[in-house]
Amino acid sequence: MLLLSLLLPVLPAAAPALQPVDEAGVRQILQANRGKIVLFDFWATWCDPCRAELPALVKLEEKYRSRGVVLVTISCDSPDSGRAAAGFLRKTGVRPPFYIKRVQNDEDFINSVDVKWSGALPALFLYDRAGTRAGSFFGETDSVEIERAISKLFP
Amino acid sequence: MQLAILSTILALSSVAAAQEYKLGSPVADFTVRDLQGETHTFNQLKGVITVVTFISVQCPVSNAYNERMKALYADYAPKGVHFIFLNANSTEPAAAVEHHAKSHGFPFPVYKDDGNLVADRFNAQSTPEAYVMDKSSVMRYHGSIDDSQQESGIRNQWLRKALDAMLGGEPVQKAETKAFGCTIKRVRKSL
Repeated sequence: MLLLSLLLPVLPAAAPALQPVDEAGVRQILQANRGKIVLFDFWATWCDPCRAELPALVKLEEKYRSRGVVLVTISCDSPDSGRAAAGFLRKTGVRPPFYIKRVQNDEDFINSVDVKWSGALPALFLYDRAGTRAGSFFGETDSVEIERAISKLFP
Repeated sequence: MQLAILSTILALSSVAAAQEYKLGSPVADFTVRDLQGETHTFNQLKGVITVVTFISVQCPVSNAYNERMKALYADYAPKGVHFIFLNANSTEPAAAVEHHAKSHGFPFPVYKDDGNLVADRFNAQSTPEAYVMDKSSVMRYHGSIDDSQQESGIRNQWLRKALDAMLGGEPVQKAETKAFGCTIKRVRKSL
């Protein structure tokens, strides 16, 4: 018992599970964050540019968290990659909760987020404090461009 | 001043070279390489109806469509539809593409699009992403094979609908759909 209690602090904490979301789930997340500036990041473990840009997005959230900026990651991985996805998010310093897309029809879901989105990853969607989409960023995007877009939403 | 003018001309010509092929317009000839290194042109490979599909070795979305692509080939090749499956990923060499094709039992050839030149002309972004041309090489359909990566969620088999319409001499009802998947890994161009 003593040994276990000594070991516990050094054992890596289990990564939180990814919560499944669909179209309604994305709307609920947005509603729950009303009053904040929300940056949705659609990514996947198999998407190299997605993984490459995530640390910069984490830094952006850290920089502007006090001003109400929230990064919401939604993995587009298959269920059997959920653990790997959660592990990567934790290792990269992304704050939970973590989400994973679980939808019946991909095209309906993509259109519900942005009709201009082809569904290709990475994709970022910025929402203002009223929950209105303020920007869509498809493919690899320089974090400077994201920061500029976020800054425009400050008074 | 002359350097500025030359730079502008070069920039404009590079823009003109990209996305040459558009829906409703003829697709000009292009060259691809088979996995043994031999070059082939679109004009040599095309049929009365031709499907060009960008695929990937590693992309899970593209691989989710492997069996569906084999089924499409089995159903439509006997009807005279020609299929050109292209790998434009700079990260996936011909040997890997060949191994992937063999291990998945592809009955069709897969070609390499070196330097993603053909992908640029189609402005292809994802794998899988399909384009269908008629006998005059006019692009009549662009987009996904169907509307769901999970087979249980399919509501519209867009590519099959387009092919059935064209084979029946009818217009394609939905000529453009979303091609979701992994982004094509393009070569990084230096200035």
